Amino acid sequence: MNTHPYLRAYMAGTVAPTMMLLVVLTAFLIARYTFQIPIPIERAIIFPMALVPNIFGAWNMFYLWLRPRPHLPIGLHGALLPFILAPTGFALAECSGFLSAGSGGLVWFHEVAIPYAFVALGFSFALIAYYLVWKYLVGFFNEVLGIA
Amino acid sequence: MTEPEMPEQKMNEEEVTEREQRKLAEVLKQSLTSMNRELDRDLWPKMLQRLDQNARQRNWFAVLFSPAALSSVPWFDWALLAVIVVGICIFPRSIPVWLYHF
Repeated sequence: MNTHPYLRAYMAGTVAPTMMLLVVLTAFLIARYTFQIPIPIERAIIFPMALVPNIFGAWNMFYLWLRPRPHLPIGLHGALLPFILAPTGFALAECSGFLSAGSGGLVWFHEVAIPYAFVALGFSFALIAYYLVWKYLVGFFNEVLGIA
Repeated sequence: MTEPEMPEQKMNEEEVTEREQRKLAEVLKQSLTSMNRELDRDLWPKMLQRLDQNARQRNWFAVLFSPAALSSVPWFDWALLAVIVVGICIFPRSIPVWLYHF
C-alpha cells in the first residue's frame, strides 16, 4: 500500500505558515486600517499566502527525501530556508512596489525605513525564528503525520 | 409391625439426605468459579494501553504545549526565543517585515 509520505510531508510543512497566515492578515489589516500604515494588502499578502506555505511544504518534502542520505537536523534544515525566502520576498516586494532600496537602507510600505545594519541583524533573527519553528512546529507535525 | 421398620426407614432417609447434600455441594462447586487470590495476568500492558489511549484522545495543541513538552526544550532554545522577543521589542517597526516573511 502506498502511504504517500511525500504528500504527508507537504501537508506537515504547510500547517505552520498557514496558521501564521491568519495572524499575518489580521496584523496587516490592523496596521492598514487602525494605524494608517499604507500597506497594499492585496499585493503584500501574495508572498505569505501563496509562496511561503508552498515553499515550506516543498522544503519538508526535500527534508524527507534527504532522510536516508546524510542530512542536517530538522531545525538547521529549516534555518536554511531564509536564504531562499528572503531574496524571493525582497524581489517580489520590489516588483510589487512596496519595497524600495535607498542609500541608508530599505523602505518597506513607503513608511518603515530599516537601515542595512538592521537588515543584516533581522536576517540573523529570521534564521533563529526559522530554526525554532522547524525544530518544534514542523518537527511536531511530522511526528503527528508519522514521517518523523 | 411398624416399630422395627422405623430405624431402617430413618437410616434410609439420612442416607438420602446425605447424598443430596453431597450432590448439592458438588453442584455448588461447579457453579461457582474458583477464586484466585493471585492475579493470573500482568496488568501493566493494559495500563500502558489505557495511558496511550488517553494520550491519543488529547488535543494536539495540548500535547504541543504540555508541561512535559515544554520542559524538554533545552535552555539555549529558550535563549534564542528570548533574543527574538527582545529584538522585536527594541525595534517594533520591523514587525510588518517579519510578518511579510512568514
